[in-house]
Formats: sequence, C-alpha cells, structure tokens
Amino acid sequence: MRTTTSEPKESPALTEATDLCRDTLGPPTMAELERGLDGFLARISPQKTRPRRLVRWSRASVAVALCTLLALQVTSVLRKRWSARESATLAYRVDGGSVLEGGYLRESGHTGMNVVFNEGSRLALSPGTRSRLSVVDRDSAHVAIERGKGSFQVAHKSNRRWLVDVGPFLVTVTGTVFTVSWDPVSEEFDLRLREGSVVVSGPVSAGEIALRAGQRLVANLAKVETVITEETPEQASSDPPSAPPAPAATSPGLQPPAPRPSPAPVASKASTPAKLAGDHQWSRKLARGQWDHILQDAEHIGVEATLGEASSEDLLALANAARYRHRSDLARSALLAERRRFPDSPRSLEAIYLLGRVEESWETGTSQAIAWYDEYLARAPTGPLVGEALGRKMTLTDKLEGPARARSLAEEYLRRFPKGNYAGSARELLAP
Amino acid sequence: MPTIPSHVPLSLVVGQDRRAASDGDVARALSAGETWAAAETWRRFAPMVLTLAKRTLGSHSEAEDIGQDVFCRVYRKVRTLREPDSFRNFVYTCALRVLQTELHRKKMRSWLSFEQPDLLDCRGCGTPDMESRDLLRRFYSLLDRLAPSDRVVFVLRRVESMSIEEIATTMETSESTVKRSLARASSRLSRWMDDAPRLAGGER
Repeated sequence: MRTTTSEPKESPALTEATDLCRDTLGPPTMAELERGLDGFLARISPQKTRPRRLVRWSRASVAVALCTLLALQVTSVLRKRWSARESATLAYRVDGGSVLEGGYLRESGHTGMNVVFNEGSRLALSPGTRSRLSVVDRDSAHVAIERGKGSFQVAHKSNRRWLVDVGPFLVTVTGTVFTVSWDPVSEEFDLRLREGSVVVSGPVSAGEIALRAGQRLVANLAKVETVITEETPEQASSDPPSAPPAPAATSPGLQPPAPRPSPAPVASKASTPAKLAGDHQWSRKLARGQWDHILQDAEHIGVEATLGEASSEDLLALANAARYRHRSDLARSALLAERRRFPDSPRSLEAIYLLGRVEESWETGTSQAIAWYDEYLARAPTGPLVGEALGRKMTLTDKLEGPARARSLAEEYLRRFPKGNYAGSARELLAP
Repeated sequence: MPTIPSHVPLSLVVGQDRRAASDGDVARALSAGETWAAAETWRRFAPMVLTLAKRTLGSHSEAEDIGQDVFCRVYRKVRTLREPDSFRNFVYTCALRVLQTELHRKKMRSWLSFEQPDLLDCRGCGTPDMESRDLLRRFYSLLDRLAPSDRVVFVLRRVESMSIEEIATTMETSESTVKRSLARASSRLSRWMDDAPRLAGGER
C-alpha cells in the first residue's frame, strides 16, 4: 500500500538500485528457514538459560572489560589514524593503458597493461583483456575482469580487502600471487594460485571454494564442470597456463574416466556423526576430491541415518561422491532423499537433473532418465541446467525413439541455445 | 502399589493443526511457554523478518544472525504484549528495533575501525551479472553512510513498499518524522548515486 502524499523525486539510478534490491534480495529459501529454526530453538532451549543473577553479573563484568578495551582501542586508533592519514589512500599507476570513466582500463597498444599500486600490489593484464577498477579506496580494492586474463600480486602487508570479480565468480583475496582468467564465450573460469590463499564463490556446485598455494581451479559453466588440481611450482609459475592436468575433483556433469586410487593430498579429518548435520564438511571434501572420505563417513554413520538426517548440501555432496565412485545405487538414494526431504530447495532441482544422469549410467535407464529430465524442465523452466536437461533429453530420445521424434526437441534446443553444447548434435538431427 | 482402575474412556488424541491457529493464539501459547509456539512463530514470521533484514543490511549472513536475535527478543518480550492479536506488528517492531541497534553498532564499529564494513555478499542474490552486483554493492555502501533511522525508513518505503502511515505506526513515531527522514535519505542517496564512480588516487 502506497500513500498519495507527494514524495521527493529521486534519481533514476537510485530507482534502479532499489528495484534491483527488491528483485534480487527475495525471501529466504526453505533450507535457510530450517537452519534458522534449528538455531532459534537451540538458543531458547532451557539448557541455554542461566540464572538471572549470574547473567547480570556476567553482563556487568563484560561491560567493564569492554569499556577498558574500548578505551585502549580508541587510543590506539586515534594514534594510528593520526600517523596514517597521509598514506591512507591507495594510489595506482597504469602502464600501457589508461583509465576511462567508470574505471574501465583501456589498453593503448597490444602488449597488455600493468597496474601498480603504491602499497606494493601489482596487476598485469594480458593483451585484449577487458577489465575495470570498480573501487579503489582506503578500505578496499575491487577489480573486475569481464574477459581475458589478469595476474595479481597482492601485497601481504596490505590491510585492504581485495575483491576480484571474474565473470560470474568472485575471488576474495588475502596476500596472494595468482593468475585468473574468464572466457565469456566458452564460459570458462581458470584460477592458478601460486602463493597465499583465496576464496572463490560463484555458480559452482560446492558453494565457496577455498584454494591454497599450488592449486588450480577450472570451472566450466557450459559443461557444468569444476576441476581442482594440484600443480607443481613449475606448472604454477608457467604463464600462460597450459591445459589442465587430470582432475582431482569434478563436479556434476562429468563422469571421470576411471576412479583414482587416492584422493588429492589435502589434510582433513573425517567427519564424526555429531558433526554431520549442516556442517558442510562434505561439500568441501568433494571439492578437494576426497570422495572416499565422504563415502566412509556415510557408512560409518549409517547410510539410512545419513539419508534421513544429513543436510541438503551434504546429501548432494554424498550423491556426487557416490557418482564419481560409480556407486550409482547410493547416488540415486541420496538424490531421491534430497528431492524428498528438501522439495523446495534449488538443490532438489539439481538432484532431479542428476537423477537423470544416474539413470543414464544403466543400460535400461534411458526412459527413466528422460522422465527425470522432463520433471526438471517442468519444475525449473529457466533453471541453470535447462540447456543440459534439454540436450540430454534430445540425445536420449534420438537413441530410444529415433531421429524423427527427436527433431522437435532439436528445434527447441537450437531456438533457446543456439550456441549450446548440444547445438552441433541438434543441427545434425535437423540436417536433410 | 495397587493400580487404581480408571473409568475414563480411551480416546484417540490427534495433534492439532497449528497452522490454523490465529496470531493471537500463537502469541498466547508462546507467552504460556507451550513448546509448539516457538516453532510456529518462526515458521509464520521468519520469511518476513529475514527478507527485511536482508534488504536492510544487504548481507545474507548478517540477516540470518539478526533473524535469530529478533526471535529471541520476541520470545523474551512476548509476555509484555498487551494485545496478542497484534502479534505480527509486535514481531515487526521487534525486528526494526534489533535492526536499528545493529546498524548503530556497525556505524560505531566502523568509526572505531574494529572492522571494515562488510561488502554485499551476493551469493544467492540471484543476479549473476557483474553490473547488477556492482550497483547493489554501491547502493549498500551509500546506505552505510546514512543515519540508521533514515536508512530503515528508506528501505521500508522504497524497497518494502510500506506506506508512510504504516512506517510511522511500526516505528512508533509521527508521520512527519517519517516524511522528513525519507526526504533526507532520498535526496542524499540521489545525489551520491548520480556522482560518477570515484577512484581515489589514480594517476590518469
């Protein structure tokens, strides 16, 4: 309900921002609500309440301690601000190009650009890279790469927050040396980390991925594939990057050719039953290629108990680990549990698509796989896996019922995804 | 000890459908300490509270924390509610108070440099394109510059689409105060948004 009272005129940019805010920051998901309810009930449980007098005394002690800390902090901050006032601003110099309105970096020749910051951080952009400096201020530096490759050397002494937008991915940086690239045509993201650590978030199935020195992350959105590999120092320092070596971890959409005897050497303790629910241990292990650990954890806890109690994220991680180890029965059970227990979650939709992939691994599962893809297409008509689901359905229909029945699907596919992964197959089907 | 035979006929007791209970029933049950009422309060009002928190703070993780604080406050204060039928308004008012307190705290912390203000966490905000994410980040960094009460009024009016009267009632203030806050917030944000993105310190 809006009032009819006259209100101040606002700028179109502000209107756009508020509309965007309303559209994108919507209601919480079922998983968020369930997680929040658990937390709320735990906080108000009788075991958590304490006698009032004790609480009062605790509060008084905390208040005294805080006042002392505050006084110390204020003194130190004022001193720091006074001494750092002159060097607070992050300055930079651009070699081989210039900065346009909005922070866009324009190359003056064809040799790439270098951006040198006064704190010691450096950014080298390969020829043809399209990028911009979104924010450069006292607290943060925010660089966006829309296309191409950039090599970063972020100074360890920097207290600033460094963020790098690379296509649809966000890289959060601490003192680090890394190279990152994004190709919008093939939708491939490639990050090679030589020193330090970064956290990558974006449309990857395992959520945030923390990388450490010597690791390489390649995420291909078109193939729905995420690969993390360990690199030798020589490989890591080579530039430009070569083709990725054998995968240590793969995410949905890719069946590895053969199971690897040992997972990537990343130190991690096995989950305990108490840690299972909502602990997100398995998605991290999945990203690190520790499939056997996930399967062992599930067996240790009990498969039935896991399917009945594990969080949505863990169930999907378990399903993927089982798929990669060719344990299709367990993968199917986990995916069915995901679909049944979290029907409104986006992971449930992913599970439906993956059920199709699992069915495809059985010779007799073709028609059932088509049924799963149909369900995905009906429930998520604009979902991220629509292209894959439609492409798989087209391929299986061709195999099961012949090209005549598959042609209408090929037409639909080409209309919606003219440059999609299955566009070649679709054109072949439609060829006279 | 001998067992005394009971002559009360056995009957099947079926759990009530709590969703049919009115807001007032839920408030009364929560006040009386009935166990089902806490979960029902969450189910009924959490979407509203979490969405408001997310839009006001611009952060999913902070919104989740604030949601917990809001419902704990509701749980503690429900006995002071005089009109159980206005339970929804009570929850909303609690949410606004907790949010304003949090915004004051954030301002204080950023002034004291205990921590840098959080940049918008765009995971799950449903906008994969870079321009939109940039715009949202810029919008929230500008909101951070507003006074907490102006920021809340602006979000309620322009994002939550509440009327001036509703805002005044929920924030327990006058309509003219709300209008002044809104005018102040809109004009400042418009001016700041129209400024070209500034890059400090660059040698151009």
